[in-house]
Amino acid sequence: MTDPRFSADPRFSAELRATLALAAPAVRAASAALWRPSGLRARYLGYLGAMHALLRASVPLLELAAARCAELAPGDPAAGPLGRYLLRHAEEERGHDDWLLADLAVAGGDPAAALAAVPPAAVAAMAGAQYYWIEHHHPVALLGYLAVLEGNAPAPGLAQRLAAGTALPAAAFRTVRDHALLDTGHLAELDGLLDRLPLGRDRRTAVRVSALHTARELARLFHELAADHRPVFPLAPVPAPVPGGPP
Amino acid sequence: MTDDRTARIGRLYEAGFVVDAFSEEQVEVLLGLGPDELNILLDIKSRLDEAAPEVEAHSEIAGGALF
Repeated sequence: MTDPRFSADPRFSAELRATLALAAPAVRAASAALWRPSGLRARYLGYLGAMHALLRASVPLLELAAARCAELAPGDPAAGPLGRYLLRHAEEERGHDDWLLADLAVAGGDPAAALAAVPPAAVAAMAGAQYYWIEHHHPVALLGYLAVLEGNAPAPGLAQRLAAGTALPAAAFRTVRDHALLDTGHLAELDGLLDRLPLGRDRRTAVRVSALHTARELARLFHELAADHRPVFPLAPVPAPVPGGPP
Repeated sequence: MTDDRTARIGRLYEAGFVVDAFSEEQVEVLLGLGPDELNILLDIKSRLDEAAPEVEAHSEIAGGALF
């Protein structure tokens, strides 16, 4: 008989999506505020800086979680397959934070200023909670974080829309454009893993709590970035508008 | 329905979730949530309700989260 502490649930990914669907209007409203047309160029620069702060934690989090899996593996049947997935994913994500700095430079921002700035509290709340859960609870919590961030990846047309709304060159949108393509495949793989892993009820709760917390903080971050009065990062002057382009 | 389940549905209803419009499957998922999950969900809903009405009007999915 299967130990209930380590049971798999083939419906878990669907249930997680159903739960996150209840939080989706908040994230959608926040991203709508972030991408509204007026003042888009300055907001895009702030977005790149904040997203760099978030993305530079991605590979370290995956590696930390994989290391914890290795420690847990002897007595935890989920740890082996989870650790292998995390290490594979770390290789796929490596270097993407550098893409953001390159986009920022093309967009007229100052990568050194973005690196030096104190990361937004919402970023620390999102990524920092994962460090805590990985270290002090279970590395599977990171899957909730992935489910939300990759589940709210840039829509396929967003890069084009931002280019039109900011009059910045296409090279300033590599990260947004490429993640719109990459994250769809990542999500399907993640759902398969969630349904297969022998997690048991408590670990599944950890994934759901992590996912809902991430959704809440993501909405908060987008709202903060959307606020005109509060520049998130000190940035170099933006390029002069193209004649005939948007204000 | 147990008192606990009734109480959870009541909290969601009071928070403004249109529980009547949920499918039976959605209700089951909600009833399976623990106290922490339910509290975060209610917090998210209250923040959404506090947001300016114009952002609620946008229903398109633009995304922008990165991992």
